[in-house]
Amino acid sequence: MKKILHFILNGEPVEMEIEPHLTLLQVLRDRLEMTGTKEGCGMGECGACTVLLDGKSVNSCIYPALEVEGRNVTTIEGLMNSRGNLHPIQKAFIEHGAIQCGFCTPGMILSAKALLDENPHPTEEEIRNGIAGNICRCTGYLQIIQAIKAVSQKT
Amino acid sequence: MKYVGIGIPNVDVLEKVLGQARYGADLPSESPLHLKVVRSTKPHAKIVEILTEEALCISGVERIFTAKDIPGRNLVGTITKDQPVLASDRVRYVGEAVALIAAENPEASEEAAKKVIVIYEDLPHVTSPEEALSIDAPLIHEKGNLLLEFHLRKGDVQTGFKEAEVIIEETYTTTWVDHAYLEPDAGLGYIDEEGRVTVICPTQNVHYDQKEIASLLSLPLEKVRIIQSTTGGGFGGRLDLTVQGFLALATFHLKRPVKLIYTPEEVFQVISKRHPLKIRYKSGAKKDGTLTAVEVDILGDTGAYASYGPTVCIRSAIHATGPYKVPNVKVRSRMVYTNNPWSGAMRGFGVPQIAFAHESQMDILARVLEIDPIEIRLRNALQVGYETATGQPLMASVGIGETLKKIRIFTEEARGGRKDESREPKIKRGIGVSSMWYGIGYTGIANPSTAQIEIHPEGEIRLFTGVADIGQGSNTIALQIASETLGLPPDEIQLIHADTGFTTDAGPTAASRQTYISGNAILRASKDLERKMIKEASRLFGIGENDLFLEEGKIKSRRAPRISIPIKEIAKRCGTVIRGEGTFDPETTPLDPETGKGVPYATYAFATHVAEVEVDMETGKVKVNRVIACHDVGKAINPKNVIGQIIGGVAMGTGFALMEEFIPGKTTSFVNYLIPTSKDVPEVIPIIVEDKEPTGPFGAKGVGECALIATAPAIINGIADAIGKRIYRLPASLERVLEAIQKRKMKSP
Ligand code: FES
Ligand code: FES
Repeated sequence: MKKILHFILNGEPVEMEIEPHLTLLQVLRDRLEMTGTKEGCGMGECGACTVLLDGKSVNSCIYPALEVEGRNVTTIEGLMNSRGNLHPIQKAFIEHGAIQCGFCTPGMILSAKALLDENPHPTEEEIRNGIAGNICRCTGYLQIIQAIKAVSQKT
Repeated sequence: MKYVGIGIPNVDVLEKVLGQARYGADLPSESPLHLKVVRSTKPHAKIVEILTEEALCISGVERIFTAKDIPGRNLVGTITKDQPVLASDRVRYVGEAVALIAAENPEASEEAAKKVIVIYEDLPHVTSPEEALSIDAPLIHEKGNLLLEFHLRKGDVQTGFKEAEVIIEETYTTTWVDHAYLEPDAGLGYIDEEGRVTVICPTQNVHYDQKEIASLLSLPLEKVRIIQSTTGGGFGGRLDLTVQGFLALATFHLKRPVKLIYTPEEVFQVISKRHPLKIRYKSGAKKDGTLTAVEVDILGDTGAYASYGPTVCIRSAIHATGPYKVPNVKVRSRMVYTNNPWSGAMRGFGVPQIAFAHESQMDILARVLEIDPIEIRLRNALQVGYETATGQPLMASVGIGETLKKIRIFTEEARGGRKDESREPKIKRGIGVSSMWYGIGYTGIANPSTAQIEIHPEGEIRLFTGVADIGQGSNTIALQIASETLGLPPDEIQLIHADTGFTTDAGPTAASRQTYISGNAILRASKDLERKMIKEASRLFGIGENDLFLEEGKIKSRRAPRISIPIKEIAKRCGTVIRGEGTFDPETTPLDPETGKGVPYATYAFATHVAEVEVDMETGKVKVNRVIACHDVGKAINPKNVIGQIIGGVAMGTGFALMEEFIPGKTTSFVNYLIPTSKDVPEVIPIIVEDKEPTGPFGAKGVGECALIATAPAIINGIADAIGKRIYRLPASLERVLEAIQKRKMKSP
């Protein structure tokens, strides 16, 4: 039995009919064709699929889509502001060389955003803990940590 | 220099930061068929029959392919073609592909894959190289289980060991390591507008893929097109075919778009691994630490198929001395087939494994002889003019000594920092040093690259390169090199890359070769364009060619400074496309099959790492606090990218040292294959040494693999320094470290 799902995606209301077993990631990628959110491990281990749910980071690959009913979902596609400017975290990732292959980047940026929204001036250790669920195989994380630090120092 | 030597951001970061970059699974397509591979559950068995009737009855299933549907040669492999795309009569490892489903939706193809019945007849299987070499071992391939045996000889080791005042002999073991790139393999197949069988997917070498697919389908090369999609890491795992063969086969038969996305578990099961090596290492040295001889025996497990087994066999042997002057050398290296997961290329091709051995040996010598670990390395370090174990005289750019000297101050500083150890008695601190060398490019064989750059009458400048950027930043480096030559900013040059429809062969993104080899091809193409522009300008304005030169994108005259014509303007006046072409093949010679003598690489990169570690004596947990990583890269075309490679390499090296272990039959995914997270990685101090390579573009060599090689041995030496006991088998997991600590307690109460 299909179910109707309503939620706010990057500020826009969405209404759609879905199979109840779908994950949030499947809804985003397969149904809405928004491929900015990545699937790395599909089992909650790598963080590539991280999105924000009411501002908190969740692994969308294991998050039941029906549970976002009525809630706010932010994906990487929704991070630029309405004037088309990059979010400061996006800018900092570019400036600090925090991106190599880029596959972890959308999830990493959203985890960083959740962290900074809750704790605008984290210590290095808090940053390391805040992104510990996001695996990056390329960069060794240090430039990512620097980028997040740089954003926190600007605000 | 204006564009080279500057850490500009990579050219593709904007689309990546916006989530717009299209990786293998993101490619759009109109109602494609969905593919699924049926895989072997047996390590070694004959295929008696493949029954597909039941699977074909599932609604939505379009077709099921087996080896019989392959029109061409069903064997692939970069060096030895021994691996079928779909097994025909025999499977040699668990996970080998036996059939391919094409269906209207992913659910149907998955369901059908479960319903395909393969009737096997079990064969005895082999799980270790030692077993594979025994006389009564079952044959995995008809030609025998020994894939390759390589020998290297210099001087006379017997004499060398006689001269030695101390001899150290130990055995070192490494295991399977997964690339663990984050993007699961995936791609799209379709017939393009010119009727070509086209595959778009992550890869490290589109032109190799094209050749394999053409031969698989028995098609002329120009009927196959491979395009690299944005690639979520590679580290060697994407040098062999992954999804290409399946996508191409289905596209060829069905003539409609097909899509294949590997499950994350499938990636762990079927993509190549780092070769496990067992290394017996004997070193002889004088009391002052000078090496007199080394004798090394290497035994490697390539698993079911050759892949890069021959490369790892030879490269580990050539690098066995480490970056040191050794007058007497004897190495035997063997690579053996087993029914284990197949091993292939992984960042360093056997050099990280052999460096673990030679750097542990160096550390033991330093301890036994009571010489400072930096000092003993300096006394032995290679220098310009010295002949390596293959008899190659090093002509220039031997920065090993410089890396050691630069890093010395940090070891002193770190020793100072150890004094506060007593505050927490269960924590012991240690410092480890390790050096490495790495030959840039393929070993003793031609490995050319080609590039073109053209300027159009409308003013557009296009740079063509077949190089696959896998995140390391080669696209950016290509543009920086062209920009420097033409004197125009990178954003005025359009880059067309890694698409066999438009670009020519640049060879693989492997062996840290793209900056040096393809960088040179791009430099030569740009110089060729420069020459042609000067010629055209000379013709158009009646000025002698010798008087003209190119600066800031303009042709200028030495004698008449008023003359300054943008090259775009010249192209417009010419009315035709002007094209510069470049090729480069490093000067190497093949290696003598008996002695290993020859020139395997045109140039070498060098590095030294220092690791500061902490060991918890109660739990065996090792924490790496800081790694100082000093690299001689020749010239950093993009220092930011070089640092990115170094820090990423240190992280991967930390994983190699402490946690990464793929256990066949047990490891299935990121759940049980642990790689370093943000909490595990040390602080890194990258130091760049630029001992310019005269044949490199602007003096550059390479850094990609070099970044990881010295880290693990530095950490292992740091552990030995901390606990007074040594780890001989990687990874140095909690249990192994604890075991070493307990052994120490038993011996010295
Ligand atoms: S894809 Fe969701 S955590 Fe890895
Ligand atoms: S940049 Fe490749 S996984 Fe993070």
